[in-house]
Amino acid sequence: MASPSPKSPGQISDKSKKYDRQLRLWGDHGQTALESANVCLINATATGTEILKSLVLPGIGSFTIVDGALVTGEDAGNNFFLDHSKIGKPRAHVATQLLMELNSDVKGDYIEETCDQLLSNNPDFFCSFSVVIATGLTEKSLHSLSSNLWQNNVPLVVSVSYGFTGSIRLQVSELCIIESHPDNLLEDLRLDKPFPGLKEFMDTIKLPEMNHKQFSHTPYLVLLYKALEIWNDRHGPNPPSNYKEKEILRNIIKSELGYGIVKEEDSNSGDEENVAEAIKAVNTALTKTQVPSNVQKILNDDQCIRLKEKNSFWIIARAVKEFVEKEGNGVLPLRGSLPDMTSDSQRYIALQNVYREQASKDAEHVWRHVQTILKERGWAGESVIENDVKLFCRHSSELRMIRGSCLAEELDGKQLPPDVDINQQLEEPDSPWLHYLLLRAVNKFHTENGSFPGYYDDNVETDIAKLKGCFSRLLNDLGCQGGSLSKDDNLHEMCRYGAAELHAVAAFIGGCAAQEVIKLITKQYVPLDNTFIFNSVTSTTATLRL
Amino acid sequence: MKHSNKNKRTSEIRSNATSGHPARQFSKLGKMADVNVAPSLLDDSIRKSKILVVGAGGIGCELLKNLVLSGFNDILVIDLDTIDVSNLNRQFLFQKEHVGKSKAVIARESALGFNPNVTIVAKHDSVMNSEYNVTFFKQFTVVMNALDNRAARSHVNRMCLAANVPLIESGTAGYLGQVTAIRKGLSECYDCNPKAGQKSFPGCTIRNTPSEPIHCIVWAKHLFNQLFGEADPDEDVSPDTADPEAAGDAGSVALQNQASEAGNVTRVSTRAWAQQSEYDPSKLFGKFFCDDIKYLLSMDKLWTKRTPPTPLSWDNIPEEISDQQGGLIKDQKVWSPAECVQAMVSSIKILYQRSKELNGEESFLVWDKDDEASMDFVTACSNLRSHVFSIPKKSRFDVKAMAGNIIPAIATTNAVIAGLIVFEAFKILEGKWEECRHVYLNSKPNALNKVIAPSSLDSANPKCYVCSPHPEVTVLLNVSQMTVQSFEDKVLRGALHMISPDVMVDDGKGTVLISSEEGETTENMSKSLSDFNISDGTRLRCEDFHQEYDLNITIIDREHLEENREFTVIADPSQLQPKAAVESSGPQPSTSSSKPAPSTRATESVEIDEDLDVIFQKGCANDDHQQEPSIRKRSISGQADIGSASKKLRLSENDIIEL
Repeated sequence: MASPSPKSPGQISDKSKKYDRQLRLWGDHGQTALESANVCLINATATGTEILKSLVLPGIGSFTIVDGALVTGEDAGNNFFLDHSKIGKPRAHVATQLLMELNSDVKGDYIEETCDQLLSNNPDFFCSFSVVIATGLTEKSLHSLSSNLWQNNVPLVVSVSYGFTGSIRLQVSELCIIESHPDNLLEDLRLDKPFPGLKEFMDTIKLPEMNHKQFSHTPYLVLLYKALEIWNDRHGPNPPSNYKEKEILRNIIKSELGYGIVKEEDSNSGDEENVAEAIKAVNTALTKTQVPSNVQKILNDDQCIRLKEKNSFWIIARAVKEFVEKEGNGVLPLRGSLPDMTSDSQRYIALQNVYREQASKDAEHVWRHVQTILKERGWAGESVIENDVKLFCRHSSELRMIRGSCLAEELDGKQLPPDVDINQQLEEPDSPWLHYLLLRAVNKFHTENGSFPGYYDDNVETDIAKLKGCFSRLLNDLGCQGGSLSKDDNLHEMCRYGAAELHAVAAFIGGCAAQEVIKLITKQYVPLDNTFIFNSVTSTTATLRL
Repeated sequence: MKHSNKNKRTSEIRSNATSGHPARQFSKLGKMADVNVAPSLLDDSIRKSKILVVGAGGIGCELLKNLVLSGFNDILVIDLDTIDVSNLNRQFLFQKEHVGKSKAVIARESALGFNPNVTIVAKHDSVMNSEYNVTFFKQFTVVMNALDNRAARSHVNRMCLAANVPLIESGTAGYLGQVTAIRKGLSECYDCNPKAGQKSFPGCTIRNTPSEPIHCIVWAKHLFNQLFGEADPDEDVSPDTADPEAAGDAGSVALQNQASEAGNVTRVSTRAWAQQSEYDPSKLFGKFFCDDIKYLLSMDKLWTKRTPPTPLSWDNIPEEISDQQGGLIKDQKVWSPAECVQAMVSSIKILYQRSKELNGEESFLVWDKDDEASMDFVTACSNLRSHVFSIPKKSRFDVKAMAGNIIPAIATTNAVIAGLIVFEAFKILEGKWEECRHVYLNSKPNALNKVIAPSSLDSANPKCYVCSPHPEVTVLLNVSQMTVQSFEDKVLRGALHMISPDVMVDDGKGTVLISSEEGETTENMSKSLSDFNISDGTRLRCEDFHQEYDLNITIIDREHLEENREFTVIADPSQLQPKAAVESSGPQPSTSSSKPAPSTRATESVEIDEDLDVIFQKGCANDDHQQEPSIRKRSISGQADIGSASKKLRLSENDIIEL
């Protein structure tokens, strides 16, 4: 028993202590993904450093700051990582140093060049990053960066804090998510389509031959299964689907399953825990087993069918598709987990094993399909790892895929999404589309005038008039007829901001943007698709699809 | 951090129009003052304001930074906590070398590092201490809560109401968060919607009939305290022969006679007994996982409908390879019984050694979720008990979450929430109270495609037991069993969050039940409430001079309460239907009203407490279905009483402060 140096199963590293509270959100594998990621921040603005702060703290692998600017007084005023003593020094260098102090596990690097310089001197520079984060870029630079990253398939997160408003734009050509962490995940029990192992197991159980004690310690899944058998005998193969039919099934569970079982000295029949559980589970456990539409969409996707690239997600998706069409008989690989239930452990474990064995059989089939696919295409065997296949199978009912749009195309675009009635939107006082257009308008102003409206104290009045012009031309460009120009208050407000980056807004946008970056890196949880607008005066946010 | 900045940011920078100091941003913004807000006025009120930040944890660190960088320059931060390694993934004002030091002090140092021109006062102290009285609170323009527990939140809420200072309340849990503004007379207060209480379990469920992992985990923590910690008679771990469900059981009557009157089988204290054998693991194991279990089996009434437990034998520990998740590492996997025994043996060895090294003053260990041996002990013992009772076992990682009431926490959520707090502060300073919002942060866009969901502030609950003009609550308890001590500790302090209560019985004689003057009512403490002629319908006048809070309590005498609770607090007496506390004397503002409680938002509001009790509720949420039936059954014993009473009472769940 007592070994001299018991290797306690709970030897916990410093790292997992430090990261304990976040491991509970994205798990060890999420943390590993984070620790192997490499992000690039363009411009160490207040918003930019706030984003990096929230990535460095949870332990991102490494970051690189690209910034050709020197620290100004304004930076010292609103940026936690740049103080007055550093005014005049390279912003990239100073911010990198201070950010690295937050977490010794993180590597930091910096390049004292502007984004434009890098793009023209070294266009492949950004290809190696997991995600590129851009702040404080002009529309023109953003346009070139966006095209570059879109071509190279590197996700881009553009974050803006402008006065009391802000925005985040995600540009990702394709994002495939295995663990989407849905709120309400139904159990995968297959009572309506029992697999052979389950049938076999259930057939060995004879409720009427049990004594009361055995009966009351039987897992409720067995009761449900047996009740469903009775139902099928009487009402055909379709499981009960409406309230009335489910009531009939509940009555079968209540009064027919335990019928004839000697109740011993017990007078309180009918309140066995497992019976109560079975009755309760009628609603959730009997949902039809089928491929959910979001997963079907992935299996039917061109990428899955033609499989042009050596991409692990699509290879496994293709293998799952073949599984569904062959061994699976139309259903996805079994998840293989059971909910907790009242039962003696022996039968619970036995039942658990039935599900686990089937799940690993299914995963095995998928794994074999993967190998065939690799062989047929002459791809290396190590392109897909078996553990990934298992993970994929376990989560196959919650797969999500996002196809984004290119920001450069949005900036070139001649119209807004067709389903948006912009004139109607502009009637509403706090429409997110209004804030989106105002932010576009100040950028247009900058493109035309070389500075933001209201930036120089002397020009405010003329800037307001110019901004009005930019706004209405923008509306015209986007094909909005007679774009309501009664937005004077909002245009004045934009001028009043004078491109100020308020720290509290930067902190808020920084937190939101960092969260999106973490989603992109861990490929867990569903990121926003694709533009986020924030107005701090009313504390409102909205997500627009552009 | 920026300790390196020794160059003073001089006041000249402030006046420098191009410096970019927040002052500049606001004056820039203020230039068009006629357009919208009056930001130059705002800038002025920011600089003149004095802010109290309660809590220097996840939200507190972000908030301090935001305040200083938004131009606030007079801040007092208070926190009684010290820095732990697990804080470092988000509380960025702290670094490894600060572990063990005061959060408030280090947060101040770090914040001053980046702006030495602001005044920050740090207090390493509990905000509930008496020196922080109403006068203290009155000096602040706005109070901002960045707390992690309900008692302190409730207390600060009362102090701000009494001092009439605006309060911004906030909390985060994982990806969720919320911010709200509270002002006396203008909004709801923190206690307007009684929060669902932390889950607690009847003693006999823990000691006799566990049915869920959490029951075994609570038991294992109690076992830790019995063996090494501060012994608490409420935390007994041996079979409870007074279990009402087993009562009337012929077999156990005989056994009961052998038992001590407290219903415990042990005759010496568990700790003394363990010391006799020098914490011999095989002896401890034998008692807790074999002998006690055999004893429970003898109470056969308990097992007619439950799966009976299976005693374990020290010489025959099942090796049971249940490791399906082969790839999983360290604390993520579920230990086999043999691994549990191994961990139990090694942790007991460490803990016993530690307890031997204690000197007289502190003669016991304190359980800590971040201490490895403590955590190993609870993981091992809870899983062994789960094994005995055929309950699913949990990984060390999960046990830690449940035993330590851990809720996940990340930097991003705190950053977002701290930003939102500052926006609410801006509105308060501008006097735009009507623009303040109650803001929720969701983990994903809601039905309206919004991650942030703002809603107007609700008006105060006219029957709130804290902020209404004549606060009232009704307490259901057993007057002959509840001692004055328990009444003070559990009801007044525990549930109602008072800190120095005075209580007078409203019997025309002015009988003083509890006095906050030390020693004045010591002799009352061990007596029961009925000894003071407190009976069904008696009213008690309670006062907390520190919180400047008066509360009338109506007692309703109940022999038994549901779920074997000791007492139930009902915030809105009109919820007692139909006999709405009729026996109570004195003014009863609520009886005339037949309207339902004005607000039921408690149901939708996420319970949010960083590092606090949320996981409990989340963890239990799924299991509730399993738990309910057993609990319902647990009350069968008192059926005659409870059944009828509960029908009459028909309590709305939102108005019960569960305990």
